[in-house]
Amino acid sequence: MNRFRPDMTGEPAVELNGVSLRYDTADEVLSDVDFRLKPGSFTFLTGASGAGKSSLLKLIYLAHGPTRGEVRLFGLETGRLKRRQLSALRRRIGVVFQDFRLLEHLTAFENVALPLRVSGQKPADYRDEVVDLLRWVGLGERMQALPQSMSGGEQQRLSIARALINKPDLLIADEPTGNVDPEMGRRIMRLFMELNRRVGTTVIIATHDLGLIREFEVPVLRLQHGLIVQDVEHQSG
Amino acid sequence: MAKPTPLLPESDAREAALFFVVAALCFLAVLATLTARGTYTAARAWSAQVEGEMTVRLTETDRRGAEEAAALVRGLDGIRSASVLSQEELEDLLEPSFGPGGIPAGVPLPLLIAVEAETGSPITDDAVTSALQAQGFDAVAEAHSDYAAEAQRALGTLRAAAIGIVVLLGATAIAVIAFATHAALLARKDIVDVLHLAGAEDRFIAQLFERRFWTLGLKAGAAGSIAALAATALIVFTAQSEPSQAQLLPQLSLDFWDLVILAITPVAAGLAARLAAGGTVNHALKAVL
Repeated sequence: MNRFRPDMTGEPAVELNGVSLRYDTADEVLSDVDFRLKPGSFTFLTGASGAGKSSLLKLIYLAHGPTRGEVRLFGLETGRLKRRQLSALRRRIGVVFQDFRLLEHLTAFENVALPLRVSGQKPADYRDEVVDLLRWVGLGERMQALPQSMSGGEQQRLSIARALINKPDLLIADEPTGNVDPEMGRRIMRLFMELNRRVGTTVIIATHDLGLIREFEVPVLRLQHGLIVQDVEHQSG
Repeated sequence: MAKPTPLLPESDAREAALFFVVAALCFLAVLATLTARGTYTAARAWSAQVEGEMTVRLTETDRRGAEEAAALVRGLDGIRSASVLSQEELEDLLEPSFGPGGIPAGVPLPLLIAVEAETGSPITDDAVTSALQAQGFDAVAEAHSDYAAEAQRALGTLRAAAIGIVVLLGATAIAVIAFATHAALLARKDIVDVLHLAGAEDRFIAQLFERRFWTLGLKAGAAGSIAALAATALIVFTAQSEPSQAQLLPQLSLDFWDLVILAITPVAAGLAARLAAGGTVNHALKAVL
């Protein structure tokens, strides 16, 4: 069994114990995965296409339950939570999807405001906050634009703004630089690093961009055929 | 600040088709209800009218004997009136069989006495028959309520059939809406997923669909109701202006309670649509984490 257990102090932000995942009758996409991430950590998750990165992230952002094992977030065993508690827990997680998943009929402003809207807040209460965040990601002039009229980089930044609007305790990004040029990729990464340093948000980024991994010296989880095979930090250290 | 864009996109072609189906089902349900109600009301009025009426048939006597028999009946307790039917009255009675040209000469006609009992009187047709036969008349009295009882049984069947039709149409509408909601849920899966992962509770997502289908049900119900009102008004108008066609048309009146039915149909359709949509979405969401 492969285990990656960084030094821990306090309750882990993310903890997977003996987690396996199988879709329907197919082979396991994740096998007996164990790892813990402490609060405020910044971690890369890497591996070849099909290694199980996206599946692992889905377990963490609660889109799926594991076939076996337990997923704990902020000390809570997610398999034991009621549906309302799961919804509340999801509001503590910001997700940047590989395919953005922006709602095409909503403006950039409304897409970013979505997590606040679903938690029952009124537009008057969140307007300034959304405007500030859109300006921070460089979309201050595009607030009323629809996603289909925006470039890939703009959509990516919009997706990031939506993930951050709730001030999440945990930020998960699936290939956030996959659809943007290298310079934009680095800007996005610096944005995540800043968030991690300033706010203490736990960040997990799935990427297969080795250049990015080398450039930003943070712990790395490497997945291969559904198994955690390597902790780059440990290996190099 | 501008009103926020609805989280579910505006209606598409599927919802237009659903609107038509629900409107048509509401139209049929309202028309079935109004027709059943109109027929039932008319038949009850007729039953109430014939209650206490009876007809005495006399044989082996002449008109003078018939007048004596009528006087005898009038003298019985609980009888309000009794009179021998004239030739004209008999011809009116038999017009449906012989036509407006009158009864051909030579056709033997019975002598009939029309009897009306007082309201609530316990007197029966058997008592009248016995009283006449005791005085030597060859007479048989028949209460009209015997026919009314048969009509009441037929009305009971009609009412049960009408309720069955309305329930069936309502269930069909709910099933169609549930199916459409499921299809809408699948078509909007991308939106539902994003809402779900953004932390929306099941109730929040279900309410989006409930509101959408409540509005659709309300509008479709109103359209069906207005169409039924127009059809009913046309039938009532035709029946009043062309009495000869009245018997071929459904018995409709468009009274206060008919208008109440027309008014509550959109609300009922809206509520049914809302419940069907909410139930479908909640059930579907429970299948995911």
